[in-house]
Amino acid sequence: MTMTPAAVALHGVSRTFGRGPSAVTAVDDVTLDFPRGGWTAVMGPSGSGKSTLLHCAAGLERVDTGRVLLGSTDLTSAGDAELTTLRRTRIGFVFQSFNLIGALTAEQNVALPLRLAGKRPSRSVVRATLDAVGLADRARHKPRELSGGQQQRVAIARAMVTRPEVLFADEPTGALDSTAARTVLDLLRAMADAGQSIVMVTHDPGAAARADSVVFLRDGRVVDRLAGADARGVADRLAAWER
Amino acid sequence: MLGMSRAGLAERWTLFVGALLSVALGVALVQSSLLLLISAAQQSSDDAAVPMLGIVLGGAVFLAGFVISSTFAFTVDQRRRDLALLRLVGGSRRQVRRLLLGEAVLLGLGGAAIGVPAGLGVMAVQTWLMRRFEFVPPAFTGEWRMWILGVSVGTGVALAVAGVLVAARRAARVRPLEALRESGPAARVMTAGRWVAGLFFFGGALALVIVAPHGGPAGGQAMAMNVAMPAAVAVVAFGPLLVPVLARLVPFGGGVLGSLARANVRDARRRSASVAAPLIVLIALVVGNTGAGESFTASGVDEMARSTHADFVVEGTVPARPGVATVSAETSLDAQVVTGSGEDQETTDVTALVIDPRAYAVVHGTSVDVHGQAVARGPGGEVSTSGSVRVRLPGADLGELPVVASVPEMMSGGASLLLPPGLVPAAALAQAPTRSFVALAPGADASAVRADLARYGPVFTAGDWLRADAEQRNSTNDKVMLVVLGLGGLYALIGVINSIVIGAATRRREFAEARVTGLTRGQVVRSALLEAYAVTGAALLLGTVAASAAFFAVLATTSAVTGSATLKLPWPLFAAVAAVALTVTGVTSLITSLSATRRPPVTLLAARE
Repeated sequence: MTMTPAAVALHGVSRTFGRGPSAVTAVDDVTLDFPRGGWTAVMGPSGSGKSTLLHCAAGLERVDTGRVLLGSTDLTSAGDAELTTLRRTRIGFVFQSFNLIGALTAEQNVALPLRLAGKRPSRSVVRATLDAVGLADRARHKPRELSGGQQQRVAIARAMVTRPEVLFADEPTGALDSTAARTVLDLLRAMADAGQSIVMVTHDPGAAARADSVVFLRDGRVVDRLAGADARGVADRLAAWER
Repeated sequence: MLGMSRAGLAERWTLFVGALLSVALGVALVQSSLLLLISAAQQSSDDAAVPMLGIVLGGAVFLAGFVISSTFAFTVDQRRRDLALLRLVGGSRRQVRRLLLGEAVLLGLGGAAIGVPAGLGVMAVQTWLMRRFEFVPPAFTGEWRMWILGVSVGTGVALAVAGVLVAARRAARVRPLEALRESGPAARVMTAGRWVAGLFFFGGALALVIVAPHGGPAGGQAMAMNVAMPAAVAVVAFGPLLVPVLARLVPFGGGVLGSLARANVRDARRRSASVAAPLIVLIALVVGNTGAGESFTASGVDEMARSTHADFVVEGTVPARPGVATVSAETSLDAQVVTGSGEDQETTDVTALVIDPRAYAVVHGTSVDVHGQAVARGPGGEVSTSGSVRVRLPGADLGELPVVASVPEMMSGGASLLLPPGLVPAAALAQAPTRSFVALAPGADASAVRADLARYGPVFTAGDWLRADAEQRNSTNDKVMLVVLGLGGLYALIGVINSIVIGAATRRREFAEARVTGLTRGQVVRSALLEAYAVTGAALLLGTVAASAAFFAVLATTSAVTGSATLKLPWPLFAAVAAVALTVTGVTSLITSLSATRRPPVTLLAARE
């Protein structure tokens, strides 16, 4: 354990959907730190609550009990306006389905968070961010003119343009072929090596093995944690918990 | 934000075509009606022209607001994922609202740009209609005024911005997480607002149905004619609950297409309700109001026929003749009734009849005891049944006269004042038209008497005359109704087309998924068509329910006023409206689903934004 405070910390977080006998507890009393400057993968069988955990950690989903801290900011007591500001400045998102705005070009999509924050992004900043994901020559293309892997890289550029404290990624390679997935994972690895905090949900042991550590979730609870394992090691551990 | 608005409009233009057309039509109608209204007020024209244009102007604003706001509400619902995405990357609620308002301003300006030239065309049509229906003299023309440009642009922007306000508020509540769901738990369709609006308008319609029978002939008719609108709004508000249930009752036939269409209607209740809403309003307005109008006319004719004990009506003065038992000669005068004094003085134009009270009582079956310096309140109402009134005739002021008697008010109206003979100076009577109601003596030869009467003026049987009289009385109302209903119908159809086009534009992926599952393009199109027909069927049924509320009010009012409940249903009109509705929804569904399935499904499923 390092002495630096966690990028994101969950304290006794629970989240239940529905009521009565059909209620499902997606996250069950989870206490967990995501270290600053590190890449943490969250794994678990489908239905284990890993996406809900990510949404709670990012302030997208209300928690029933417990506290979520982003650095020293309490997300659980933040109002809508404060959460909006956090999304603009301190949090970045990448999702399985890219979620780019189809009406805007790659360049405009990347500039969007800055413009929503009321800034006038300089072209050079936007171009540099696109260049960092290897898409400087695709700036004027609309999402539908790009391949899946390219769209995901635009989404990463959009998330990174605000220089967020934490990048949340939900199955970022889930919709990509293995070559495109490797490009995206290489990108994330380079970002983590440069000091970026990343929290990533995945079901792919190969993707999880690229992270610094892996957290295993089952039935909404953290059941295991693994550091520095290879894909084989992650897969074996996952198989053990799925049994 | 304006840049985003512009990009959004350009990308999703199919979603906005309908809204643009509604704004343009609204601008065109408001501009044309306003110019004509001013021209009519300045030039000499029929008294009915100004109020009629006023009604059209109000109707245009109301319908434009209704269609535009429902179109915007639907487009916002269809774009929830986009809006949530904006929230996800840091957009605030205010920015979402500003984005939609920006779009509305652009649509308003665009609508005005189309609406101003279109307004000139609309003005030509409206002028022609008004000349044709004799609201204005043949030489009447509408005059263009430069300042109308400012009004039209303002109207376009105001209509669009007002239309988007509710939708923008709703959109601002979209949660960022909704961007991550493929289709999302479709936002709750029966919102609190819908319940409140539905119950409010249901209560309004119910109150009118209950109060109408107590409103007298004129008030009762007016209230009954206003039942269909709130009833339709109430039914529309509950549409998401009612439409899917009713649409499933429509026989789909067996087979996979039928069950797919049935599942789609159930699943997409918001879309089904959006398509049904304007149709419900159309049916309720057209069928409900036309039916109510025709029923009141029929009821008036029946009532007159029951109370009139005459065999012939002669347009002229008939003296005592062989074979004739009674003649009630009635001379009609344009009179003014003055009530109050000083600042509060009010003048009402009414019709006065100079009658022979004894003969009038025999022929119309109601005793009226008026003689000397006094008047009686006639079947047309409008005058108090007691106290006194000041009566002015053209060229003669009769002064203050007591109201000493009254006859019951009639459904079809009539003269408001009955004057005894001798009250009116002969000079005032000289030019006035006289009509004689003739009752035959027992055993008289009707055809011989008729031939004899013909020398005093045109002769009608009482039945023929009553029908012609009632129809003539109602014709001005009917013409106004026709113009207003035509306008309403046009708007409703635009609303239906909007909903189907918007619905189909967002269904490309769903259609593509159905095709890769093994359906042919033809099957997808047929299934969408079945679905459109089921929703149209449900809308026809619900529109009839709303129209029935007006019919209840008609039955209660005619029963209370004439003692006999009367209802005349406009079946040919209903059939025509149903045929138009089915054709429009069918053709629109066909075109939009064909266009949405034009590209091979795999290109749609592979390219995810």
